[in-house]
Amino acid sequence: MSVPHHDISPRGSAPAASVKPFQIRGRYFTAVALRPEDGPLDQAFYAALDAQLRWSPHFFDGAPLILDLAQAPGLSRPAEIRALADSLRSRDLAVFGVQNATPAQAAAAQDAGLILLASGKDAPLNTGPGTRREPPRKLRPPENVLINRPVRSGQTVVAEGGDLVVVGPVSSGAELIARGSIHVYGRLRGRAMAGAEGDESARIFCHSLDAELLAVAGLYRTSENLEPELLNRPVQVFLQDGRLCVEALG
Amino acid sequence: MSKDLKLEEPLGRVIVVTSGKGGVGKTTTSAAVGAELARRGHKTVVIDFDVGLRNLDMIMGCERRVVFDFINVIQGDAKLKQALIRDRRLENLAVLPTSQTRDKDALTKDGVEKVLDELRKEFDYIICDSPAGIERGAQMAMHFADEAIVVTNPEVSSVRDSDRVLGLLNSITERASKSGAEPVKAQVLITRHDKSRIDSGEMMTVEDVLEVLAVPLLGIIPESPAVLRASNLGVPVVLDEPSAAGTAYEDAVGRLIGEQIEMRIAADRRPGLLQRLFGRTV
Repeated sequence: MSVPHHDISPRGSAPAASVKPFQIRGRYFTAVALRPEDGPLDQAFYAALDAQLRWSPHFFDGAPLILDLAQAPGLSRPAEIRALADSLRSRDLAVFGVQNATPAQAAAAQDAGLILLASGKDAPLNTGPGTRREPPRKLRPPENVLINRPVRSGQTVVAEGGDLVVVGPVSSGAELIARGSIHVYGRLRGRAMAGAEGDESARIFCHSLDAELLAVAGLYRTSENLEPELLNRPVQVFLQDGRLCVEALG
Repeated sequence: MSKDLKLEEPLGRVIVVTSGKGGVGKTTTSAAVGAELARRGHKTVVIDFDVGLRNLDMIMGCERRVVFDFINVIQGDAKLKQALIRDRRLENLAVLPTSQTRDKDALTKDGVEKVLDELRKEFDYIICDSPAGIERGAQMAMHFADEAIVVTNPEVSSVRDSDRVLGLLNSITERASKSGAEPVKAQVLITRHDKSRIDSGEMMTVEDVLEVLAVPLLGIIPESPAVLRASNLGVPVVLDEPSAAGTAYEDAVGRLIGEQIEMRIAADRRPGLLQRLFGRTV
C-alpha cells in the first residue's frame, strides 16, 4: 500500500531557529472490514469467526478492524454492538470503527467507543478452506489477434489488447485497429490504425502498401500524402519525433 | 453424372448468385447456370429472391405461366408444387418465381429455410438469384447457401461491392454462424469482359480483379450481344444459338461441378470501325 505524505507546515514565516513541537501528516493504511450478515449474533456466528481466525491467524495480527454494517441493518441495539465490539477485542481484533451504519447504529457505535468512517473501496478476502488467494499471475497471455483470411471491404478487425496480424490481403474499405502494432502479410489497401490507445511505439508493417489511411497513436496520413515511390512496396510505419514516418523495408 | 446417381438422394446443394452491385448479370447468370446444369442432367431449380422486381421468369421465358409465387409458398397460401414452374425445354429445370406486388420484408428466415429444405429433397442444385444490394433480400438469398457465385464486372465499383458481399458470406450466413461448418465456398464469375476496353485501360484486368477478391475464378463471360438477345427472347443464353457467352457459361458450369476446364477468353464481337479500317486483328 502506498503511503503518501502530506506535510502540513504552519503558514507564515516562523523563526528559523524554532523547532516545531509536532508534525501533522496524512496517512493511508489498510484496515480489515468485518461485515456481519443480518442475523442474530449467536454461538454460530462466533464459531464461524473463530474458524476464520484459525484459518488465517496472521492475517489479523494487529490489523485495525472496522465493522461494516451494510448487510446488518437490524443490528442496532447499543448493547448488541457493545457486546460485539467486546467480543472482537477479546479475540485480539483491534476494532475501532463502523462503516455503512444507519443513524441508530451510528449512535450505538459511538456509545461503544467506535468512530464513524466514510465507506471506502474494499476487496474480498478469500481465505476459506480450499479458496486461498492465488498469487497474482505475473505473465498474462498476450491478447494478439490473428486473422487468416482476407479482410474485406466493410469489415473491421479490432485487436483491443495487443497486436493484429493479418495473413492475406486487406481490401479497400476495410479497417484494422490495434492497441499494439499491425502486421499485414499481403496487400494493405484499407485503413490501418495502430496504437489506438496512444501507444507511440506501435508500428504498422505490410507486404505491399496501397493504404487509404495509416495512423499510429492518432497521427495519420492518407493515401494522398504518401510518397508515390513507396506504393506497392513492403513498408513499415512508425512515429519518430512526433512525425509519422513511412519507410521501405528491405 | 451417371444415370444411377439420379435414383439416389438428390444432391440438394444451394448456390447463391450474388454481387452487391446491380446490373452486372446476376439474373442472366442464374438462368444460364440453371439451364446448363439441367441440360447436363442435374435436377435444378432457380429461385428469384428479387421480390418486387421479378425478372428471372422473364429471362427464363415463363412469365406468362406464373400463378403462385415464392412469397405465396412462404406465407402458406400455396403449396410448393403449385408454385414451381417446370421448364418446357428442359425436363430437369424448374423456376420458382417471386412476387411482383410484395416487398422484401415478406421474406422470412424461417419461411425461406422451410422452402429450401423442401427443395433440397427434390433437386440437385438450388440456384438462388439474389437481388442487388446487401439488404434483407440479398441476405436472405445468401443465408442458407452452400456455395456462392459472385458475379463481378471488371470495374472498380463492382469489384469493391463484390468484396463487401464476400465479407458478408463469411460473416452472416448459416454456415458462418455454425461452428465447425465449412465456410460458404465462394467463386467469382467475371461478366461483361471486354478485351478492348481492358487493353485501353478503361476496365480492370482479370488479374487485378482476382488480386482484390482473393477467391477462385469460376469463369470469364465475354461481353456479347447474344446475352441481350437471349434475355429479350426469354431464353437462357446457353440454350440460344451458339455464342461466345454461351460457351463461357458452359465452361463455368463444368468448373462449378468439379471439372477441370482450362480458362479461355472467347469473344464474338465484330471488329470495331477503326479496326476494320486499319485491318488489325484483335
